[in-house]
Amino acid sequence: MNMHAQPQRTLAETALIDAFGERLSLLPGDGAVMVKRDDAIEAIKHGLPTRRVESWHYTDLRRLLTSVPAFETDGIAKALDPVLDSSAVLPVLNGVSNSKLPEIDGVTVQRLSEKLTDGSVAPGLDRYGADDAIGALNTAFVADGYFVDIADGTQLEKPIELQNLQSGGQAHVRLLTRVGAGAKAIIVERQAGEGSDALISSVSQLVLDEGAEVTWLIVQEQPDTATHLAQFKAHIGKDAKLTLFIMNAGGKLVRQEVVVRTTGEGADFKLRGINLLAGDTHTDTTMVLDHAVPHTTSTEVMRNVVTGKARGVFQGRINVHQYAQKTNAKMACNTLLLSDDGEFSTKPELEIFADDVVCGHGATVTEIDHDHLFYLMARGINEKTARGLLVKAFVAEVIEELDDEALVEALEARLDGWFLTHG
Amino acid sequence: MPAVQETIDRVRKIDVDQYKYGFQTEIEMDKAPKGLSEEIIRFISAKKGEPDWMLEWRLGAYRRWLTLEEPTWARVHYPKIDFQDIHYYAAPKSTPGPKSLSEVDPELLKVYEKLGIPLKEQEILAGVQKTEESELEEANDNVYKSGRVAVDAVFDSVSVVTTFKKELAEAGVIFCSISEAIREHPELVQKYLGSVVPTSDNFYATLNSAVFTDGSFVFVPKGVRCPMELSTYFRINEKNTGQFERTLIIAEEGAYVSYLEGCTAPQRDENQLHAAVVELIALDDAEIKYSTVQNWYPGDAEGKGGIYNFVTKRGDCRGDRSKISWTQVETGSAITWKYPSCILRGDDSSGEFYSIAVSNGYQQVDSGTKMIHLGKNTSSRIISKGIAAGYSQNTYRGQVSAHRKATNARNFTNCDSLLIGDQCGAHTVPYMEAKNATAQFEHEATTSKISEDQKFYVMQRGIPEEEAIALIVNGFVKDVIQQLPMEFAVEAQKLIGISLEGSVG
Repeated sequence: MNMHAQPQRTLAETALIDAFGERLSLLPGDGAVMVKRDDAIEAIKHGLPTRRVESWHYTDLRRLLTSVPAFETDGIAKALDPVLDSSAVLPVLNGVSNSKLPEIDGVTVQRLSEKLTDGSVAPGLDRYGADDAIGALNTAFVADGYFVDIADGTQLEKPIELQNLQSGGQAHVRLLTRVGAGAKAIIVERQAGEGSDALISSVSQLVLDEGAEVTWLIVQEQPDTATHLAQFKAHIGKDAKLTLFIMNAGGKLVRQEVVVRTTGEGADFKLRGINLLAGDTHTDTTMVLDHAVPHTTSTEVMRNVVTGKARGVFQGRINVHQYAQKTNAKMACNTLLLSDDGEFSTKPELEIFADDVVCGHGATVTEIDHDHLFYLMARGINEKTARGLLVKAFVAEVIEELDDEALVEALEARLDGWFLTHG
Repeated sequence: MPAVQETIDRVRKIDVDQYKYGFQTEIEMDKAPKGLSEEIIRFISAKKGEPDWMLEWRLGAYRRWLTLEEPTWARVHYPKIDFQDIHYYAAPKSTPGPKSLSEVDPELLKVYEKLGIPLKEQEILAGVQKTEESELEEANDNVYKSGRVAVDAVFDSVSVVTTFKKELAEAGVIFCSISEAIREHPELVQKYLGSVVPTSDNFYATLNSAVFTDGSFVFVPKGVRCPMELSTYFRINEKNTGQFERTLIIAEEGAYVSYLEGCTAPQRDENQLHAAVVELIALDDAEIKYSTVQNWYPGDAEGKGGIYNFVTKRGDCRGDRSKISWTQVETGSAITWKYPSCILRGDDSSGEFYSIAVSNGYQQVDSGTKMIHLGKNTSSRIISKGIAAGYSQNTYRGQVSAHRKATNARNFTNCDSLLIGDQCGAHTVPYMEAKNATAQFEHEATTSKISEDQKFYVMQRGIPEEEAIALIVNGFVKDVIQQLPMEFAVEAQKLIGISLEGSVG
């Protein structure tokens, strides 16, 4: 799993290393932060991961990352209307957070650039493994983002929407959130942009204290020119519950990593994801879930629709540690492959070191069921409409599982929007 | 609790330090000096009386091997192998073609006896040339005949003997050692050898191509259903040797053959390397069934010694409507690293993989299969059952892929794992790659202990707990056991049945 030393640097690797030299004086951070940045760029100097690195087997970053755009100085990105009405919006526009911070009861919001400057976030900048290329890229270049602290016992009535919006060029953003004991929140992470070539790295880190309950939505709708390298990392404490919903519906080269660890008994993790892949996107969702303590549960359901020349990847690894007895983990990944030029690769892994557990995974790749199609067409629905209905039903099933009505409606509206342009 | 005690006893019976076949035999051996070089390869080739093209083939492979790096992606850990510290050739010194039992090296006979091969078969194994009368007798004895298996016995680097050759020849089937085939049927060997696993395939296959010493060769001509089961029995005996056998099986149009493979090795403190290559070729409408009961020495209770079993097995469904089926019961070896695969090249071809991998002690297993769908309307089925106990690590790693042109490719994969104790690990790493909209892949995997509900269901019908558990666990592996030929099913059940029942105590 080591990144092999590469004999010759690619253009992208050289561009990144050069950019680091140029940006260094502009990057915020105290001594500790700068040491982490140096370590991170060293990792990049060893080369971006290739398909020989197991966790990058289906996304050969070294080959796929062909160009690295320059940093734009006069971006034009503007905050968007939130996915959920009445949300408090925290926008990061072209890599820069807003200096005017909203006032929300029980919530402390700080700009990440300040936290980098005072060095208080340095410990969180470590990579989670030798193959953590996104972590390395982000740690080297991260300049801004937000730090959100939701106080113990806070029941947030209005959702918070973190927006990372980019109009071309590079941006490296980190969104840190702590949800205090017994607190409850809905948080939307919006990843979008417009315009020409963009390279975005975005790392979200979430800590759930005892009994906290969070629904976190990642809505990724990058333009089809953008390279979007994202990471979502979470620690779920005792009796805390995290529902993570991911919708990938854009981007040229997308890698969304999900790195979750249960750290307290009774922790529960749910992942629900839909990948809507069109054009010639390469979209990779990779999850590493560690059941590190006894009596924790998780379920993951991924639904993927592949059209055009799109290539999709889902890798999901569930690690059950030796003392994590009574773990209950289930994972499913279902794919509808709708075009002959599309591709989908899945690798659902189980690594189990405890004996008293129930773990399972299932994966399927199919086309639309002919019986279902016939059933609808026999009722006078034309083939195109019937196909549309079946595909939509296939993904909508995952959305409908969310128990918040406003959330379901908002996501279904986005789904309809996608089908309107790609259906 | 007596039930628990019984369970413990049963598990102990099959634990690694109870290895039954761990004896070694003092047999006068003819060995090549340790180490690997072009000279050694020339030596092996000369010993085998091989034609020049074969030597060139080996040397080509060796030169390629020198440029390769040992792979490290498998989930197995072991100290670096010193490839210069191995004898690449070791053969028992014996007079060719002994006429009666008394002429066969008695030590060799003892080996077969200890391995539990019945006396009559023993006579066959020792290579006694039978008289006309005894053959007649055999022909009249239908019961005996139906249970017959032709055996190729490979002892360290050479095939000692192959039985029933004459009768097989009458049916048109060629069954002999690969060395003999290279001499007697060079046109067939040249045409097919390396056509499924090329010399450049992977580190160990390339090494094997350079130094392979023996193995079996089977050729079933067009339209022939092989009249009996074919079998090879591999035995590593000599110290510090590596066994590198090469098996090549060809089933022509409409032919059918069922082939069994068994293996054992003595108990030693050093690790020994076994790097085999098996190539299967099925032409139009042909079917090959390949079964393995792998019981190499697994090392002792502390994980010392044992065989490194790094094997490349691949079948090529070259013809339309052809079928290749792999069945394996893996109980031995310190490290197992093998992925019997099917290349589904012909239209409407199908591949099957049934596996039970039991690991105990400090064994490490990284095994599975590859199903590569290339032709149209191809189908494959994978059933894998892993059972990990002790300090062992048991990994299923499998790949299913559908090529762009492989319309209507179908796959069903099921891999289940049972864990016994909290010091072992079970892992599942399936790779699914679909490049075709009409492909239909299904994969499911579970890891668990026996569910209380199942147990309750059986027990409320008046069946005692112990038996209920046995029933459920046997059901766990039934899918695979059913695929084994009768002769092996019994042995396999003995090997794993006990351990499974112990697993749930």
